[in-house]
Amino acid sequence: MFPDLIVKPLSLKELSKTLLSLPSDRKYLAGGTDLVVRANADIENSRYWIDISGLEELRYIKETAKSVLIGSQVKASELEDSRIIKKHLPTLLSALPHFASPSLRNMATLGGNCANASPSADLACALVSEEAYIALYLKGKKRKMLLKDFFLGLRKTALRKDELIWGFEIPKISHKGAYMKLALRSSFAISKIGIALSVRINQNKVEYLSIALVSVAPKIITAPKTCDFLKNKILSPEILDKAASIIQKEVNPITDIRSDGDYRRSMAGVLLKKAFKEVLK
Amino acid sequence: MNKFSYIGKSVKRKDALLKVEGLSKYADDYVFEDMLYAAAVRSPKPRIKILNISDAKAKKISGYVTLVTHKDIGGVKQWPIVINDYPFLCADETKFEGETIALVVAKTLRAARKAAKLVEIKYKELPFLTDPLKSLEKKSLKIYGSDNIFSKFIIKKGNAKDAMKKADIAVKDEFSTNYQVHGYLETQCAIAVPEPGGLMTVHSSTQCPFYVHDAVAAVLGIGYNKVKIVQAVTGGGFGGKEDVPALVASHAAVCAVKTNRPVKLVYDRKEDFMSMSKRHPSWSSVSYGAKKDGKITSCIIKYVLDGGAYSTLSPIVLWRGAVHAAGPYKIDNILIEAYAVATNKAPSGAFRGFGQPQISFAQESLIDDLSEKLSIDPIDLRLKNIIGPGAKTATGQKIEASCGLKEALLAVRKNSDWNKKIKAKKFSGEKARGIGISAVYYGVGLGAKGKFLDRAGAYVNIFRDASVGINVGNTEMGQGALTVLSQIAAETLNAPYENIRVQEVDTSKVSDSGPTVASRTTLMSGNAIIEAAKPLRNRIFTMAKSMLLKKGAESSAIMNAYQGVFSMGGKKVSFKEVIAECWARRLKMGEQGWHIAPNTTFNDKDGQGDIYSVYSYNANIAEIEIDKETGVIKPIKMSCAYDVGKIVNPVLAEGQAEGGILQGMSWALYENLVYKNGKMLNPNFTDYVLANTNDKPEYDIIFIEKLYERGPYKAKGMGEVPLIGMAGAIANAVKNACGIRVKKIPILPEDVWLGLKNKRKAK
Repeated sequence: MFPDLIVKPLSLKELSKTLLSLPSDRKYLAGGTDLVVRANADIENSRYWIDISGLEELRYIKETAKSVLIGSQVKASELEDSRIIKKHLPTLLSALPHFASPSLRNMATLGGNCANASPSADLACALVSEEAYIALYLKGKKRKMLLKDFFLGLRKTALRKDELIWGFEIPKISHKGAYMKLALRSSFAISKIGIALSVRINQNKVEYLSIALVSVAPKIITAPKTCDFLKNKILSPEILDKAASIIQKEVNPITDIRSDGDYRRSMAGVLLKKAFKEVLK
Repeated sequence: MNKFSYIGKSVKRKDALLKVEGLSKYADDYVFEDMLYAAAVRSPKPRIKILNISDAKAKKISGYVTLVTHKDIGGVKQWPIVINDYPFLCADETKFEGETIALVVAKTLRAARKAAKLVEIKYKELPFLTDPLKSLEKKSLKIYGSDNIFSKFIIKKGNAKDAMKKADIAVKDEFSTNYQVHGYLETQCAIAVPEPGGLMTVHSSTQCPFYVHDAVAAVLGIGYNKVKIVQAVTGGGFGGKEDVPALVASHAAVCAVKTNRPVKLVYDRKEDFMSMSKRHPSWSSVSYGAKKDGKITSCIIKYVLDGGAYSTLSPIVLWRGAVHAAGPYKIDNILIEAYAVATNKAPSGAFRGFGQPQISFAQESLIDDLSEKLSIDPIDLRLKNIIGPGAKTATGQKIEASCGLKEALLAVRKNSDWNKKIKAKKFSGEKARGIGISAVYYGVGLGAKGKFLDRAGAYVNIFRDASVGINVGNTEMGQGALTVLSQIAAETLNAPYENIRVQEVDTSKVSDSGPTVASRTTLMSGNAIIEAAKPLRNRIFTMAKSMLLKKGAESSAIMNAYQGVFSMGGKKVSFKEVIAECWARRLKMGEQGWHIAPNTTFNDKDGQGDIYSVYSYNANIAEIEIDKETGVIKPIKMSCAYDVGKIVNPVLAEGQAEGGILQGMSWALYENLVYKNGKMLNPNFTDYVLANTNDKPEYDIIFIEKLYERGPYKAKGMGEVPLIGMAGAIANAVKNACGIRVKKIPILPEDVWLGLKNKRKAK
């Protein structure tokens, strides 16, 4: 059901006033590409929505010496066009074309993709692989945590009542990235499984590695055992086969309307190898 | 008439600009003064006994007006369709999850939907059936009649069982196909507007206004002449706007009568998914027997369609499927048994191809398996067995001269470089390429089982300013009917194309012309327009000639008529001038036309007869690429040839072909509606996906124009043809690529992956 009222504050000051004036049955609205769909399907029933897409404070892509900073209200399509993203965040860049459709990318925000906490969130998965931190904001106070730890379970996050996602801080680590995904069709579909690979390979040796996966567990997961196995190894087909069999044990997929558990488990290994192939191109 | 003014030319679509500009008015765009909104209260379970309905809580919603139940129906309680088993509103028992029990009427759509959720139904759950094969079992629970069978057909020729035993080679297998959802642009919508004197006008999103007319008159219990159905611009039908809009409109009409106010009933996508018609899921067992030289001697088929909770169009969908089930081949011994069976799921109905695509997939898959066993190239095997002029079909009908199936097969074989590709090495790295063929024939129009509906009317009215207004009984739903029918009218009258306006259907303007289905609109309404235009043409051409003579043209010269200008011996006169003169002389400038399809026959005992007046033909070659690690199938190129008679508008015909190919491919590879224990799990476009433009293959479309003497400008019908054979061609390409025969639709990556895995294990 759609809300009775949508309020759109245009500054943080207005936001705090809005929070004081509204009953507690309320929710933040960013790009609306999840919330509106959920309301349409009657899964979302909050009576008041606070549209935070007008908060210019949350709409930035910046860099410091050590980090890339992205505001939560940055649209996916703005990321696609960003020189900073292109330079420093290859995994996120690789995930963007797999994310929804061009028209939805014009609406959807990075913050919304994380707040929705879907186990199949492509951009959030890429950010976890990029070892991003998430900055949260409530009543003038900010706190920061690893994005990986922000996801607590199926549609569950560390967000407190009325807390909103301020933005993301991603350390600049020299690496290459790939995002591989299987879905119900070749584009504009939710993942059956997806894998984000951030890796630095020097003379065929794995120097740095971070892996995240979607749709193989109730939340986005990383693959620490696979990473441990591959780190400092010289890549070979045998090593990658071994890594593939390890990652197949690290995932915990289910059978649902989108795919089959055994298939997903097997594909975790296949996509890992495909992702390495991609970055080695 | 050797040089056509408009026939065979890609003139601009009549409705293109309005649609591009977003100005077309779809049903939900209409608003009337004092209009109320209705929302359905739906069955929460697959089968329940209703004990009590209470609106005590719903009443508290601001804007609530009333609750409408079966008790408010003034006319008949059962929806008149083929078999009248579907109640307009159920009284005590629902038969599928999502069935309408009652309607809430409120001042806003939001209030109506909110209140509908608050209507409390007290019920007892009843046992239910979800598997049609279980429904057929003798000891099964009975939910329809004494055997759960809505309809049954037998097609019998020669002695199929005996011939199968005597065959040198026999193949047999079982196949199944899943639902397909129409995915039309706008959900079901109707607005019922009551008028003084007990009149009712309904604006409906529909492809069959006369079905809506039947239902609304019946549910209200009033005369047809008090009911008027006006078709709103309809964004795609594919069969989904065939029968069910009548149900939606009837509900709106009952609400309008009860409140005496205009009432709009518009579905959201979820309820549209859950309660509206879909392509029937199917199960089939198919076998073919052949001689060593490849001559097919026998075909035995058992074909079962999952009809869902009510019969709706199942009997006639089944009939079309059954009569075409053996494929477009000359086979002397045939035994086809076909059943449409009840289950407690949403009623299945019409969908482009109407029972043919499911069985075409099965039999064309098996024809390929037969060719493998015989070691005969799949196209050679088909060429050896296909029907051609003079040959007889499964029902014993002799094929007439307009048959281009052989030419279609030869054309796609050449264009696709088949001979090289069929034998090529399949794997390179992770990818394997495959190529597959299918052959299709399609009886145009309603055929013997729908012959009493197979007529169409037209009214052609030439105004004094030489503009032309035309009313027909078949609808535009995106396929281009307004354009093609305008071309036919302009050609016949020698009027400029721009002068023609074909109007959306209004049931008060033209006699019942049957449904807009079965690829019959160009044929039926086209011929009706020609019949109406003929006497007008005589008057206009006679007048033009006398005017040209008056201008000094030589009387021995031949008069030419081209694109709105008459010329003779160097003199010219325009259509506009001729019409002005006709009006000045008080000639009759409006005429009715009425076209009836040639007679057809069908013997219920053995399924023999001349069942359709003419057939269209098609051959498809699908090229695909498989990722052997993921099982993902990528469509590469579709080479498809069609004999649909004369092509009236090449660009629109190509559009029909591309749309049909993509829709067929989408059904074959992506669309997967999931039911579990009678509950639909993915009633949305997030988890029920259709192919999109990124999945689009390269199209290679070929038209073989075998002229049909009784068609308008020798055209046949096209709309459904391109979809029917896609799944078979794709399944054969998958087999060719990786050796895996997937016997179900959709063919998902998971199926191919599992097949390859099992094959590796077996080695």
